[in-house]
Amino acid sequence: MSVLDLPSPKQEEWRWADMAALQSAADAAPHATGVDPKSLFLDMPGPRLLFVDGAFEPAHSVPGRVKVERIASSGDHPLGRLAEGEGWALKLASEQAEETVQIAHLGTGGESHVPARIAMDEDAVASVVETYAGAGWANRLTHISLAKGARLMRSVRLLQAEGFVSLRDEAEIGEAASLVSIFLGMGGMGSRIDGALTLTGKGAFAEMGGALLTRGEQKQECAVAVRHQNVDGTSRQLWRAVAAGQSTASLAARVEVARDAQKTDGEQSLRGLLLKRTATVNLKPELEIFADDVKCAHGATVGELDKRALFYLESRGIPEARATALLTHAFVADALGRIGDAAVREAFAADAEAWLEAAL
Amino acid sequence: MATKNAEALAAANKKYEWGFSSDIEQEFAPKGLSEDTVRFISAKKNEPEWMLEWRLKAYRLWLTMTPPDWAKLDVPPIDYQDAYYYAEPKAKPRLGSLDEVDPEILRVYEKLGIPIEEQKVLAGVEGSRKVAVDAVFDSVSVATTFRAELESAGVIFRSISEAIREYPDLVRKYLGKVVPQHDNYFAALNCAVFSDGTFVYVPEGVRCPMELSTYFRINAENTGQFERTLIVADKGSYVSYLEGCTAPMRDENQLHAAVVELVALDDAEIKYSTVQNWYPGDENGKGGIYNFVTKRALCSGKNSKVSWTQVETGSAITWKYPSCVLSGENSVGEFYSVAVTNNRQQADTGTKMIHLGKGSRSTIVSKGISAGRSNNTYRGLVRVGPTAEGVRNFTQCDSLLLGDRCGAHTVPYIEVRNPSAQIEHEATTSKISEDQLFYAMQRGLDQEAAVALIVNGFAKEVLQQLPMEFAVEAQKLLGISLEGSVG
Repeated sequence: MSVLDLPSPKQEEWRWADMAALQSAADAAPHATGVDPKSLFLDMPGPRLLFVDGAFEPAHSVPGRVKVERIASSGDHPLGRLAEGEGWALKLASEQAEETVQIAHLGTGGESHVPARIAMDEDAVASVVETYAGAGWANRLTHISLAKGARLMRSVRLLQAEGFVSLRDEAEIGEAASLVSIFLGMGGMGSRIDGALTLTGKGAFAEMGGALLTRGEQKQECAVAVRHQNVDGTSRQLWRAVAAGQSTASLAARVEVARDAQKTDGEQSLRGLLLKRTATVNLKPELEIFADDVKCAHGATVGELDKRALFYLESRGIPEARATALLTHAFVADALGRIGDAAVREAFAADAEAWLEAAL
Repeated sequence: MATKNAEALAAANKKYEWGFSSDIEQEFAPKGLSEDTVRFISAKKNEPEWMLEWRLKAYRLWLTMTPPDWAKLDVPPIDYQDAYYYAEPKAKPRLGSLDEVDPEILRVYEKLGIPIEEQKVLAGVEGSRKVAVDAVFDSVSVATTFRAELESAGVIFRSISEAIREYPDLVRKYLGKVVPQHDNYFAALNCAVFSDGTFVYVPEGVRCPMELSTYFRINAENTGQFERTLIVADKGSYVSYLEGCTAPMRDENQLHAAVVELVALDDAEIKYSTVQNWYPGDENGKGGIYNFVTKRALCSGKNSKVSWTQVETGSAITWKYPSCVLSGENSVGEFYSVAVTNNRQQADTGTKMIHLGKGSRSTIVSKGISAGRSNNTYRGLVRVGPTAEGVRNFTQCDSLLLGDRCGAHTVPYIEVRNPSAQIEHEATTSKISEDQLFYAMQRGLDQEAAVALIVNGFAKEVLQQLPMEFAVEAQKLLGISLEGSVG
């Protein structure tokens, strides 16, 4: 991996990207992180897989139906295509349901590339929770294909204390199938969450959203494109960014509606909250529409906490720091509330809460 | 301005209404672009040495640059060596009356719809209407009117080449200060080879006694036009500037790379209105003007204000982002835009509001209308600097789709580095509903009139920002541009 192969901020899609942080994470020598692998799994039944620096770790894993296998490189995404070799694959047959699959990635330094495949047949149902911790540059490509009526709930949390996480999702969503991917970006690393979701079937549903919490000198960003190719599709992109310190949080979300994708219902909501004078929030809610009978709305706001709401809470005897934390938590909860499984949702909310306590 | 004459109305057979060309002897610079071309243009205009150096520096920068590729445009490769960079009508002695004006030019004015009174004014006869017209005929100003009246108010209204000779210090102080030579590929090209344009200086405390206007015409085959406009509003002054554009029908693509720079000092206000109706190419996308324009305003003074209003109906390809750098405290930037694309037209247009001053405010209202097989993109940036407290921005971009072969795109960038900013962005995409059409038609309108009515309603917020005469022309233009797009 050479810096020459990385995308440059001169490219429009990468103008807010922090490739220098990625490079320095990739160059970092492996070191002990003190993270207990057990702590990366939620106390829930179902398969568990641990990858340490990109290598499968059977000692802490119960793969169940999930296969660990070689997966060839695919796609032309500048980072995603680097992910090849040993990865994990979840294949579900028609009407099969899977308990919560937990995948944990622990890095100690250097770079690791892991591909993943999720292929679900008609009416299959699954939930996948991914956790990233440690250090180094973790680069992942996840390919998802959902057949008619399949439903996948994906929850991803980035808790790396340092380093960089780059995720690339590529999904094809068939007729009446549903994909919901929710991300929580926190910890101390830089990140780039990249997604291309394509609604290929009639009446498909796609959602990609989440919360990016940044502090210090961190830079986190998401760049998601949802492509409607068939009629009656629905998509939701609900992102929240909270920036403290001198950090930067960037949200770029795009809805593309193809000529034939009539009756599309697309919604984007990008909101940024600046906790510090020195922080930056960048937003880019983009629409690209070629069909004339569609409903596409996007909203974008940036600002600080509502002074009146703060005053109200303080007038009820709540100290300022606590009031700020409460309101910020509510702001973030919007995005995390989309996680379907209550136990997962609560775990993510607790992580966000801990971040807020530390940041405020 | 420009009420359409009967002849033009009769010619509304979906052909370009102002698609005519006139033969006026040209003095061309040799084809192609090199340092010699730049020297030729500079020498031709009797420019001082510093100006030539400035142009050459821009040319050398241009050689190192590449055309921008981030816009949602499909631009065919342009051979910059296969174009003329300078053409001017043959020099004539100064004219005393209308009869002495070249009849060719008079005929062009007539087709442009310039009222006879204004034509007289152009020829130096005292006119009844108080609109000053600096006609850019091809590349050189043919006539500048109302000069005396403007001069008594202290307003300098000159072609830029005259201004370079007569007010070198003033021009030198501001030229390239808002759009520097290295700003972008097309701006650098303009800096190197700009042929003519307009210079306006409104002194301190003066409210310009009339609206200033320039007709731009692209006239000679294969002549790129590189206009340069510089408007400086000194403290407490006000000026309203109208820019109207028509171009003759041609099969070959013509390149237009203009640069407009506005400077507003303390408490000054500039209102800049554009109606752009260059040849958009035919139904199959053949021909048409490439319009790559850099327009930027610097609100450097306290409480200064710049308002851009544009109605874009022409050009095969539009690449245009009139912007405001709001560095003055409590400065205000406004952008009102209607962009219509039909057939194979492509427009990527919008604005940038760079908030650097405390309490600066901006409003963006953009209406995009796409029909036929066209693509219409709003691309905008709102940036709030770390020291800009209390910034307020409101953005609304609405798109209207006529037909299912066209595209409407919205690409807003928001970059905020100060928490006290309040930034709002709203956008909608819609089509003309069957109900609206049915209602209008059952009141006796035919389909095209009904569509024109609804489209004008959609664009009303922007059209009402235009000066009265422009608004009338713009309304008609919207209707004409969309002819044949429905039904």
